[in-house]
Amino acid sequence: MTLLATAYSYLYQFGDSFAYLTLSSLGLAIIFGMMGVINLAHGEFVMCGAYVTILSAKAGLPLPLAMLVGAVSAAIAGAILERLIVRHLYNRLFDSIVATWAVSLITQQAMLIFAGPSIEGLSTPFHSFEFGEYSFSTYRALLPFFSIAVLAALYGLFFKTNYGIYARATIQNARMARCLGLRTSRIYTMTFALGAGLAGLAGAIYAPTISAVPTMGSSFIVPAFVTVVTGGANVLQGIFPAAGFLGLIQSALSASYGQLAGQIGLLLTVIVIIRMLPQGLGSLFNRK
Amino acid sequence: MESSPSIMNGPADRLAIGRAAETGLLKKIFGTQLDGPVDLTLILIGACFFLPAILSEAGISNLAYCLVWTFAAIGLSAMWGYGGILSFGQTAFFGLAGYAYGIFTINLGESPAATWGGVLTGLVLCVVLAALLGYMIFYGGIKEVFIGIVTLSVTLVLETFMAQTAGPQWAIGSARLNGFNGMSAMPSLVLPSFAAEPILLEGTNFYFLVLAMLAGVYFITRKLLNSSFGLTLESIRENPHRAEMLGIDIRRYQLAIFVFGSTLGGLSGILYTVWGSYITPSSMGLTAAAMPIIWVATGGRKSLSGVIIATVAMLNLSQELAAYGSQYALVLMGLILLFVVMATPQGLIPTIKEKLGKLFGR
Amino acid sequence: MKQMKKFILGCVVTLPVSLSVLAADPIKLGLLEDASGNFALAVIPKIHATQLAVEEINAKGGVLGRPIKLIHYDTQSDNTKFQEFARRLIQTDKPDVIFGGYSSASREAIRPIMDKAKQLYFYNNQYEGGVCDSNTFATGAVPEQQFSTLVPWLMQKYGKKVYTIAADYNFGQISAEWVRQIVKENGGTMVGEEFIPLSVSQFGQTIQNIQKAKPDFVMTLLVGNVQSAYFEQQAAANLNLPMGSSIQVGQAYEHKRFKSPALKDMYVTTNYIEEVNSPASNDFKKRFKAKFPTEPYITQEAANAYNAVYLYKAAVEKAKSADMIAVRKALETGDICTDGPSGKVCIDPKSHHATHTMYLAHVQGDHTIEFPKTWNDIKPYWLGNAGCNLPVKADYSQYTPSSPPKK
Repeated sequence: MTLLATAYSYLYQFGDSFAYLTLSSLGLAIIFGMMGVINLAHGEFVMCGAYVTILSAKAGLPLPLAMLVGAVSAAIAGAILERLIVRHLYNRLFDSIVATWAVSLITQQAMLIFAGPSIEGLSTPFHSFEFGEYSFSTYRALLPFFSIAVLAALYGLFFKTNYGIYARATIQNARMARCLGLRTSRIYTMTFALGAGLAGLAGAIYAPTISAVPTMGSSFIVPAFVTVVTGGANVLQGIFPAAGFLGLIQSALSASYGQLAGQIGLLLTVIVIIRMLPQGLGSLFNRK
Repeated sequence: MESSPSIMNGPADRLAIGRAAETGLLKKIFGTQLDGPVDLTLILIGACFFLPAILSEAGISNLAYCLVWTFAAIGLSAMWGYGGILSFGQTAFFGLAGYAYGIFTINLGESPAATWGGVLTGLVLCVVLAALLGYMIFYGGIKEVFIGIVTLSVTLVLETFMAQTAGPQWAIGSARLNGFNGMSAMPSLVLPSFAAEPILLEGTNFYFLVLAMLAGVYFITRKLLNSSFGLTLESIRENPHRAEMLGIDIRRYQLAIFVFGSTLGGLSGILYTVWGSYITPSSMGLTAAAMPIIWVATGGRKSLSGVIIATVAMLNLSQELAAYGSQYALVLMGLILLFVVMATPQGLIPTIKEKLGKLFGR
Repeated sequence: MKQMKKFILGCVVTLPVSLSVLAADPIKLGLLEDASGNFALAVIPKIHATQLAVEEINAKGGVLGRPIKLIHYDTQSDNTKFQEFARRLIQTDKPDVIFGGYSSASREAIRPIMDKAKQLYFYNNQYEGGVCDSNTFATGAVPEQQFSTLVPWLMQKYGKKVYTIAADYNFGQISAEWVRQIVKENGGTMVGEEFIPLSVSQFGQTIQNIQKAKPDFVMTLLVGNVQSAYFEQQAAANLNLPMGSSIQVGQAYEHKRFKSPALKDMYVTTNYIEEVNSPASNDFKKRFKAKFPTEPYITQEAANAYNAVYLYKAAVEKAKSADMIAVRKALETGDICTDGPSGKVCIDPKSHHATHTMYLAHVQGDHTIEFPKTWNDIKPYWLGNAGCNLPVKADYSQYTPSSPPKK
């Protein structure tokens, strides 16, 4: 029983790490991976999703609905941002860093001024279950499955729907897509909004598990970038193995040598992966 | 063609100069002396030597502090603007060199030899590590934005690692790394003198030192980037495949400029450590890593003089906003950055220069 | 051009002189605190408390008949801003005293600058202890005050097996060292120790390690908003162990920000929190809330900052001048005390630290607070015992239990 419990505990930790990496990076995968915009405001979309979720839940909405509202509000924020700022920066990688950094700065400080330094959070839904000498949070145990479901839904969206075809076409060759009659500017907005919405979804999902402060999004940025970049060429097909591989490394190192080893190991793995597989990463930017 | 030494005044003469410049006449008259931007910027830097007569000690000290960061910005401009290499690693070398200086001087004392030895050690360390990292990046075929990700990862690994070196076992000689709290109490730079006490390079003396270094670094960088090395670098940035097909080993050039630029980042780190007698891992954090990029983007990534002015201006602006803008300081800072990047795609300083140039009919 | 330069030079010379004549009246208190950035949550109450104290003192006639002028620069939770503004204060504003700093890194960034300028400096924050600096007065609580009261009490109530999780940097590591020492002295065992990097927000593995080690209670020395996610996560996993801390609750009021029962059975030794129910505390709260009605919480450090202003006032009055050397000597006499919201606080001459009343705060299941025990007049004994004697021997360092002053 103890062996089984220990084995499950490793599996649980892996799943936890996998879910965190997947959910943090999905939004960035769309925006950075598919559209080539280095979005340093990614954390702020996460924060937006989390805050709206918390406020909606406190206003009385049931939690799943509140999370949906959170994700949608982040999507709307993303659409606005795209229209106002990002669309001018599509071929200016360097400048997209500065612009999104500035947006991040403004948003964090504005939230501090208007919403205060923190808001009261939510409790993690469901309870816990025991297995051997360990007890686990049910909610967190379900997260890996949820993240796989989101990945599957995304895959379905991009490969089985009309929008998906239009989006992939636009991203691959915008000029040609326009010649064929697609409204590329609208597709860009929708795709950016989708990325923002996914980031907001991550914020919504994790809102009941972390502290709700204006700077809460910044802890999602590095895992997100790291996973997206490791994922490589075909972003949608790359996130799953990337999150899996990185999750495995991080959970194994944390279990054996502590959290510091897990953090450093994650960063070093990225360096090694990029070094070993630079070819596969070349076609990441399909829009050039 | 930018400015020329103003031996003539008045708009008519300027017009004449402009036309002459277009025909290359001026170049024929003045030969290689008319290296345009070099003259004006160096003259400006030279003029700054006289600022202590006008500004207060506090103003000079603050200006010296702002100038300390320009080396990292110049390095990034050389790497990104000319070489097309987006490196988030400037702050990594900043921190490494700073710590190297601290460890060297805390162990070996405050004599001129020890302190300048510390500077040299820091710079050499940067060259070596940048060469190793650069070799892995460029000879490993890592391209474009992934260079940024790899350098960012290196920076963050260093920060995470250094932040936990608080225990007494983390010491090199008698210098404790001291983790997140940072290493302090390293001596200032000194110059040997005939008097009993060596000349302490603090306050206004430190200002002159930084200014002199800036003039030197600017001159070297300008010459480097105007030479055939610089032109080859630009051709690599424009179209790497074409450059390769023309027989250029692009990796060698990229490695060279990466080492050059990163070492300049290290120079900033050493001078910062000397200025504040303090270095900490948060100098290598994500926020710190983004700063040089913001300065270079504002200053115009290809304009060295623009980058210097932008760095000093942005640091000053950030300070003044924080001092007088209360809680809106960061919001204002963000708005200004946003405006600059949206309205001036070439960078603020080049756009201003361009508009001024148009104003004077050139 | 020469005329212009002479004119400018003339202005530059006469302006500070004329300004200084006008400025001879107020006593200048420079304040370097973060009103924005990562630490704003914990520091804004400090700023407000300082403003309250200054306002009260000025309303009663100031110090030696002179008003206090508060010069505050927002350091934005950025160490470089601390350095820049410290220099600016010293070179331009020329304050009589500087207060400030939340994180130890920010204090260590400006201590060299204070020492170079021989500037009187008050660090009014709880921290890992050990600063033995002639120019610095640290009025916050230190480990020997917080742990020597807390840990034996917890061991007596819950058992002798202890697990520590600490932030992986100076404060966490040094505090963990203190815990280790005190546990050993009281016959207990450390069944585990984990150091968590500051950027970690996911504690699954840590929670499991704790469950495996089966301690009687957990010492949590976690720092920052990111790490505070631990409490919600351990409650969700139903870890169900009592916790002890020197830093939680008092700075960032987690019991108000996380839904119950995340902080259930958290025990904190603090020299003040809002829930302290004494006449002095209630009066302080009334005045504070009158000036700052929307303040989310009155923290430990707010009380420290408030006390510090009054301690400074007492020292200036004793020295009969605001001259920094005279004030320092007055602070080193041993009679500088103030009766603040937390009770009596006095400056210990040898170490430049403060004696405190320690309140044991117990966060209950519904996140209300009770105080099972109070210790009066706990002295900051460690530095003095270890050999730090600032009135006699000048020093400018920070020591730790594993690297004490050289005898």
